[in-house]
Parts: sequence; C-alpha cells; structure tokens
Amino acid sequence: MWRVLVVEDDPEMREFFSSSVSRCAELQLAASVGTLAQARAWLDANASTLDVLLTDLGLPDGSGLDLIRHVAGLNPACESLVISMFGDEANVLASIEAGALGYIHKDSTPGDIAQTILDMRAGESPISPMIARRVLMKYRADQSYKENRPVTPFEYAQAAMNNVASDDARKSGPGSVLSPREQEVLGLIARGFSYAEIARLQNLTVHTIQTHIKNLYAKLSVHSKSEAVFEATRMGLFKPHD
Amino acid sequence: MIDIARWRYVLRLAFGLVLACLGWLVQAQTTELREATATVTVQGQTTQQRVSLPYHWDRQHPGLAGEAMFELPFNLQAVPSELYALYLPRLGNAYEVWLNGVLIQHNGDLKQGNGPDFAKAPRLIEISPGLLSTRNLLRIHIRTDVGRRGGLAPLSLGPVDEVSTQYLYDYHWRITGSLVMAIGSLLIGLVVLGLWATQLDMSASGHARRDPLYLYAALAQLSWTLNVSDAFIESPILAWPWWGVVSIFATAMWSSNIALFCVEVAGWRTWPAVIWLRRWLWMLLLASVAAAVAALWYGHPQVLTLLYAMLGLTFLVFAGVFIWKAARGSPLAHRLVAFAALLNTGVGLRDVYSFRISQTYGGNTWLRYSSMLFGLTLFYIVITRFRAVSRQAHDLSVNLALRVAQKEQELVQAYQRMELLAREQERTGERTRILRDMHDGVGSHISTAIRQLESGRASSGEVLHTLRDSLDQLKLSIDAMNLPAGDITSLLANLRYRLEPRMKASDIALCWDVDLLEPLARLDDKAMRHLQFMVFEALSNAMQHAQARTLRIELHGTSKGGAQLLVVDDGCGFEPEQVKRRGLSSLRERAKAIDARLQITSAPGQTVVEIMLD
Repeated sequence: MWRVLVVEDDPEMREFFSSSVSRCAELQLAASVGTLAQARAWLDANASTLDVLLTDLGLPDGSGLDLIRHVAGLNPACESLVISMFGDEANVLASIEAGALGYIHKDSTPGDIAQTILDMRAGESPISPMIARRVLMKYRADQSYKENRPVTPFEYAQAAMNNVASDDARKSGPGSVLSPREQEVLGLIARGFSYAEIARLQNLTVHTIQTHIKNLYAKLSVHSKSEAVFEATRMGLFKPHD
Repeated sequence: MIDIARWRYVLRLAFGLVLACLGWLVQAQTTELREATATVTVQGQTTQQRVSLPYHWDRQHPGLAGEAMFELPFNLQAVPSELYALYLPRLGNAYEVWLNGVLIQHNGDLKQGNGPDFAKAPRLIEISPGLLSTRNLLRIHIRTDVGRRGGLAPLSLGPVDEVSTQYLYDYHWRITGSLVMAIGSLLIGLVVLGLWATQLDMSASGHARRDPLYLYAALAQLSWTLNVSDAFIESPILAWPWWGVVSIFATAMWSSNIALFCVEVAGWRTWPAVIWLRRWLWMLLLASVAAAVAALWYGHPQVLTLLYAMLGLTFLVFAGVFIWKAARGSPLAHRLVAFAALLNTGVGLRDVYSFRISQTYGGNTWLRYSSMLFGLTLFYIVITRFRAVSRQAHDLSVNLALRVAQKEQELVQAYQRMELLAREQERTGERTRILRDMHDGVGSHISTAIRQLESGRASSGEVLHTLRDSLDQLKLSIDAMNLPAGDITSLLANLRYRLEPRMKASDIALCWDVDLLEPLARLDDKAMRHLQFMVFEALSNAMQHAQARTLRIELHGTSKGGAQLLVVDDGCGFEPEQVKRRGLSSLRERAKAIDARLQITSAPGQTVVEIMLD
C-alpha cells in the first residue's frame, strides 16, 4: 500500500487524480492540496510517511519542481511524479533533473494513472524518444566540453542512435555520466523502439531496461546537482573543500 | 671777430692734419698705377700713345680685335722690405705681365684669338723679393677679342696684406658670388622643373594639366644659371663669339620667362594682351640672337645696346602695369613678384647704363644678385600652394572620416531595422504556423466535437475520440517545435510514442521497421510539420477505419539520398479514388506542399500509403 500526496491547483483535476488514486486498492490517498504552501506544510509534518508525490508543475504560488526537491530532502525514499499536460521536452527534463522519476499526462485514464504510479514503484519509468534524444545530446555536450572533443551534440546523438551495442559506445570511460549500455538503450529509444523490442535487440529482459531507465533518472537528477556545484565552482562562487 | 677767425684757423688746421694722417694710414704704401704708354696693334697698324687707365678696348676699338702693350714705369722711395703684390682688377682676354724684364704671370694665347677668356677674374700677383727696385718698369701685353670686355683696369701695387684685401673683396663679389648665385639658380630651376613634371593639376576640366608657372620659372632659373656662370667659366665649351651669343640669348630667355611667370602669378593667362606680349617676347628672343651676332661677329655693339634697351623698356612697361595691378589688392604672391620685378627692372636698367652706355670697365652686374628675389618669391608661392593642398587634404580626410562615421551609423541603424524586421517576420511566421495548427488541428477537432454533441447523433465514444485526437495533435504540434529539421527517424519515433496509448487501446500490433536516416536538408520546420500530419493521418485512418490487426511502419533511405516512408495495414482496404475522405485530400495537399510523391494502394488485406521524398 503506497501513500500518495496529490498536489494540483485545478479542483476538478485534483478530484480526478485523487479519485484515480483512491480507487486503486494498492494505493492510498494521503492528502490532496491545491497550493505549494499547503503541500510544504503537509510535507513538513508527514513527509516520512509518504511514498509518492504526484504534483502539477504550475502551482499558483510556485513551481512543483521546488516541491520535488523539498520532499527529496525530507524523505529520500519518497518518489515524485509530475503531472504534465503535454509531456513536452522542457518540462519533463526539468522535472527529471529536479528528481522526478516520471510523469503522467493529464489526459490519461484513471487506470493509466494508477498503473503509472505502481509501475514507478516497481522500478519502471517512462521516457519518450524526444527526451532520450535530448538527454543524449545534453550529456554528450557536457562531456565533449570537458574532454575538448570537437563533437557536436547532434552528431553524438546520431551516433548513439546508430551504434547499437557498438564498440565505440563501450569506449566511454567510467568518468562519463552515461554508461555505454545506457547510451545504447537511450539511442534505441530515440529511434522509436519499444522496451520489448530493445530487450530483444540487446538480449536483455524488459525489467533490466526499465532499471536502466530508472537509474538514468536518478543519475540525471544527481548529475544536475553536481553540475550546479561544478558550474558554481568554475564561476568562483565558492571553493570546494581541500 | 678775431677770436672766431683764429678758432676757424685752428679747426681747419686740425681737420687737415687728421685727414692727412688718415690718408697716410690708408694709402701708406699702396700705389695705384693709372698712367701708361700703350702700343696698340689693330688690323696690322700699330700706334703708340699715352693713355690713362682704364683702357676699355671695346670702347676704343668697337667691333675690332687686336693687341696692346702697356708700359707703366714707376718709382719707389725705397726698396720694400716686406712682400709686395700687384693687383689687376681686369685685363686680357689673354695677357703677359712683365716686371723689370721678368715675366711674372701670363694666361692665354697672345697670338690666337677667340679662345679661353682670362679677363673675367681679378688677378693678384705676388712679387718675388728682390725684383723691385726704386726705379721699375711694368709691361703688360694683352690680346683682346671683339666685344669681350678686354682691356686694362687701373692697377694697385702695395704690401700683400693691403692689396689682397681689395683683391678678395672684388673676387668674392665677382666670382664667389656668381658661383653661389649660379648654384642657387640651378637648384631652384631643377626643383621647379621637377615640380612641373610631377605636379599634375586634375581639377581643371578633368584633364591632367601641368602648371606652366613652374615651367616658366624653371626655364628662367636655368637660363639665369647659364648667364651667371659665364662670370667664372674661363674656358667655355663654345668658342667666342658663339659662347657670347649663348650668354646673351640666356639673358633674353631669363627675362622673357620671368615675364611669363609674372603673367601666371597674376592669373593673366587668358588676357588678349598677353597674346601680344608673348609674340613680343618671341620677337625679342630672336632679336637677341641677331643682336648678339651683330655685336660679336660683325662688330656693331650698339645693336646689342639697343636690344638691352628694348628689353629694359619692355620690362619697365610690364613692371609698371604689373605693379599697378598688384597695388590694387592682389594676393600677396602677386605683390611680392611685383616688388621683385620693380627692383630687377631698376637694377637691370642700371646695369645696361653702366655697361653699355657709361665708361665703367672693372665693375660687376648687380642683376645677378637681385634676380634671386624671383627665386625667393617662387619659394613662397610653392610653399603657400603646398600648404593649401595639405590643408585641403586634411579637410578632405576629416570630411571623409565624418562621412564614414555617418554611413556606419546609418548602416547600424539599417541593420537594427532589418533585425527588427526579421524578428517581426519570424514572429509572424511562428504565429501563422500556430494559427494553422490550431485551425487544422485543435480548432477543427473542437468544432467537430461541438457539432457531434449538438446533433445528438454521435456517441460519447465518438466525441471522446475527436477530443483525444485534438489533444494528440496539440502534443504533436508542441513536439514539432523541438524536432531537428529533416530528422524523419526522430519524427516517426515521436509519433509512435504519442500514439502508443491508442495502439494499445485499439489492439493493433505494430511492426517497427525504421532505419536511422541522415537528416534531409530539404525538409524545414514547416515541411516536418506537414510530414508529421501526413503520417499521423495515415496511422489514424488505419487505426480508425481499416479494422486492421497489424500495422507496419517502414522508413528506408533511397540510393539518391532521399527517404521512403511506408504505412502498411492488413485491414479491409478502400478504393482511394472513390472514397472522398477529408483526410485523404489533406494528405495529397500536404504531399504537394513538401514536394513528396504520395502513392496509396488499397485492397482488402493490404493498404499501403507510400511517401517518397527524393
């Protein structure tokens, strides 16, 4: 039984998500609130009991991204899902970097909503080809910046999409954010293959692929934090410890 | 009264004493020898007479050559103990000087005439000690050419120091001074000739034109060099009298060119009177040759005097007009030249009088020095011209810099306007695209849903389908903004992801056969959007109407670098030509818009929608 907090400013939507959660036998609605302040207050009191945070991004008094970070600080075991209207690149990537493990479309059916929450708790995270592509481009750009390799992110994404299990992909050292396997999986997702198809191509189980993706989510969120530290150090905002 | 007379007497006595002392001091030992016995031989006839020096041969024997022996006996009170010298201001053209039967100096050939001229320079002869006694005889033998200013000037005898002072004074005025003037004139002439050759005036009527002012000045200066240098060249390259002709011609050249130079300075070039002046000057030039030949060859010096008189008169009139004009507020250059012309005319007339009319023999022309004034005014003109030109250039460059800055600013403004326009255009394009998407997608779907609800005939499932379509279209529109242009693989992957829930719902198995293609350069954002619509439409049709069980999506590259896209279903099929579905016509329109070949083949069991992008 997973305890779920629903944060959504539109009452009808809130009601819809709340009931979708309530209706599922394996989920329990811990609370449903409409503002960032209310959610914070509730979390400050009850975060330790929470398993899932389901939050809208555009709240009347702030961003859902802050809430995701807030809950991660209070209870790292709590997993966050974002309610997104379009599942568009910019919002999804920002959510992942804030620490979210997935997103739910507003037009999903009640069954889909419950299933997505359960899937996430079971270790599954959804990722779209566009996001996969963007992640490949973004983290490759960071790496070529650090290694001074003249490879454009676009070229890299193309290469990752092309080189399924190639030697080239495996060459990435331990220092890179994405493991060769993760790069391969992302590349295939970017080309439109389903998890099942990728599993067949790579001789993996679907579960393994899902684990890869979830790990990727975690990495991206951690990476975005360390990246912030790295940038801050580079800009001389503070000195790293000796 | 007595007192006054006495004082007068004393004063007169003192004054006389002082004068006597001074006279003794100055002329203490230097003796001037003026009286001689001349034995003159002209045209084979020899005559002897007592003469008083100077003996100006050309005046005594106009137009004739000949020779003469002067005997000048003189006594000294005592044999001088110090070194004595004899100073001869002018003699020759060839000569021998004998003292007490000893030849103490000779120059030139006494037999052969018209050779080098040794009459030009003053001569100082130091007398060896022991040669002088209390009674002495000086014999001077000369030979003279026609019109070459031969003869004998009064001599001075005295201690070297005293005599050489006088000698050096004369030497500097006649020889050193002439040398300086000749070099100066030559330099000025060459520089100005260089200016004439290099300074092209482009402003006047577009033709490159040399300034005649420089040419006249250069010719004047060079002629003057020739004229003045005659004073120190004893052995000219031409024999007499031709060298004399050249020298006289040079004088005429100088004066004519000075006149023309003045005309240029005053800006009278186009005056009708100047045409006559030019003709007159040409005439004088020719006349100068004729007069020189007449005087030096045929022995009529008065013709040459007449020529000089005409030149002098010409310049007297010309300078008069010139000065009169200059006085009436002309530029400084004009006035300076006028002053030089006035001075030179005066000096020229003095020289003509002194050398052609009066009996002066040993003197020196002044014109050679005064003529330098023209050179100085010329310098003034050149300097002011260059100053004006450099100021013009400076003004021009400042002006140019200002204009460049202005143009730069205009360019920046134009660029900003263009940027603004481009941004505006971009915004308009974006707005148009969004509007079209809304119109074709969300708008049409919502209006369909409204009609469906209003008519009451549609089931809630159909309305729901319409609305879901609408939301899917909206998501695809948003995705299209992030799609890399020309990347069909990403386009299909994204489409599959978006339609995944529907596929699951409709229970259709999807076969994914999509190759990774290089982005097609010819597909821009707009074309990508069209292509997305087309594939969406094909998939939509297959899922909605075909009752298919499997759906295959294929993407392959063509050999020509294009792309082949296939949507294949195993549904019931339809007759493409007969079925008038709105979606199908939209497919054709969009295919046309992106220049793609669209082929739809349908039969029960297999419908193929093929989109070929070359």
